[in-house]
Amino acid sequence: MNPFELICPAGNPAALRAAVDAGADAVYLGFRDETNARNFPGLNFSRAELAEAVAYAHARSVQVFVAINTYPQAGNLAPWQRAVDDAARLKADAVILADLGLLDYAARHHPELRLHLSVQASAANAEAIRLYRDAFRVRRVVLPRVLTVPEIARLNAEVDVETEVFVFGGLCPMAEGRCSLSSYATGLSPNKQGVCSPASHVRYEPRGAALASRLGGFTINVFGAGEPAGYPTLCKGRFVPGGGASADPAYLFEEPTSLNALELLPDLKAAKVCALKIEGRQRGKAYIAAVVAAYRRALDAFARGQPVPSLDLDAMVEGGSQTTGAYTRAWR
Amino acid sequence: MHDPGPMVQEHAPEDQARNVEVRLTRAGLGLARRLGDGAGGLLLDRLLRILEARHPRAFAALGELPDARLLIDPVDAPAALLLRVGPGLALRVCGRDAEAEATVRGPCARLLDLLEGRIDGDALFFRRELSIEGDTALILALRNTLDGEEMDLFADIAAAAGPLRHALPVARRNAGRVLGLLGTARRFAPPPLRWGMAVLERRLSGPRQGA
Ligand code: SF4
Repeated sequence: MNPFELICPAGNPAALRAAVDAGADAVYLGFRDETNARNFPGLNFSRAELAEAVAYAHARSVQVFVAINTYPQAGNLAPWQRAVDDAARLKADAVILADLGLLDYAARHHPELRLHLSVQASAANAEAIRLYRDAFRVRRVVLPRVLTVPEIARLNAEVDVETEVFVFGGLCPMAEGRCSLSSYATGLSPNKQGVCSPASHVRYEPRGAALASRLGGFTINVFGAGEPAGYPTLCKGRFVPGGGASADPAYLFEEPTSLNALELLPDLKAAKVCALKIEGRQRGKAYIAAVVAAYRRALDAFARGQPVPSLDLDAMVEGGSQTTGAYTRAWR
Repeated sequence: MHDPGPMVQEHAPEDQARNVEVRLTRAGLGLARRLGDGAGGLLLDRLLRILEARHPRAFAALGELPDARLLIDPVDAPAALLLRVGPGLALRVCGRDAEAEATVRGPCARLLDLLEGRIDGDALFFRRELSIEGDTALILALRNTLDGEEMDLFADIAAAAGPLRHALPVARRNAGRVLGLLGTARRFAPPPLRWGMAVLERRLSGPRQGA
């Protein structure tokens, strides 16, 4: 039996079929509105599409998780509550929630529905996780991308709740106030409306052979000729510190590299992590098919005790390079 | 005059079939441009109607977008395309400098891959093989809408041509072999004939820029 569940993203029905066919154990997705953290034009699922997705996945023994992981706006809870009701009615296997009020609503109205805690909730210590378990019967916690593997191991030794960690894709820690930068630049919130660096505020401008990426009027990065480009996400911007006094622009928060924790499979298994998650609901189905298939091969080899094939996915990722992120950050 | 040499390289049959499709697309663009707005426009209208019949969901979504123009510029093809989304959905050939709210630029083969969801647009953008300008939300909406479909331009067209639809898979399987034979024929043909073949091939593909 495989020690890990492989949890894969889908931004539309075609991507869901690609993920299921490529070997996902579960697919996570969102409704086409502000109730999920990837609320982008043309993306996500209608209710009818969710019903079809569940039928397609269940026929192949694959689970479907619905992310309802933004924070409801005061006085406007209905869209979030309706999303939970519809996910339960359409037989989703779990909902991924972050907001306390919504967790409470789901626990009261749908006692049979499996609740997972979103990475958005940033539950990073045993006390917080126990609270979510005791108060709302949360069965699984998606851990924030700021923990090292030894920290995850300690956490798992202290709690009896399943843990899921991100292993591949864009680094979006959704913590420590970074997302407020995006809200400041655009007036729209990643955490409340599901729009980090919304496309309506993004512009790419050629500057000779260079490419400038801009968000809401701010230049976030300038990529030199041939340098791999990235999205203008503020937490991955390149800035000139010291009010322009410093010579070189530098990445102040995160670099636009992509997470790949494949080499950490033995450590994550020893740390008793239960599920591995691939980021990228906003990516195309070709990305999903390639990344899911590569991870499936790697996990199967790992389960058989064979050497894990190294994955050549550099060409797929932002910044054209990969990192093990906070999992191995020595300075922490 | 230089001997053009064998133009067809040894590739997997699917790659070779793809090669032919890319050349046909370029040739189609060249033809539509030569036909002008009248007959060329009718040709592109017909293409849109064929695709719409096969992908009603995507076309309904494109029709619901706000009225805007997207310049699709295959840099190695003889002309670019102007796609109008919104209630007046339309497709026309145009020059590379046509006015539009957003522009997508890249090699013809990559744009075709993108249309059919064979390749990830973000990955192409990260690698700087694809450049985008203007209204990013419009480009993203179009990308996400097309990515939700299982589009296959040539199969869709062939299907609309009735009996031809059975011929396409066979043609694709055999494209490699036919191209291989052509390549061999060219290698053994006397030089004047070889040049003639190359000229014919170039004419079929239309003038190529920057390739
Ligand atoms: S600002 Fe950074 S951390 Fe916040 S949602 Fe955007 S990418 Fe994620």
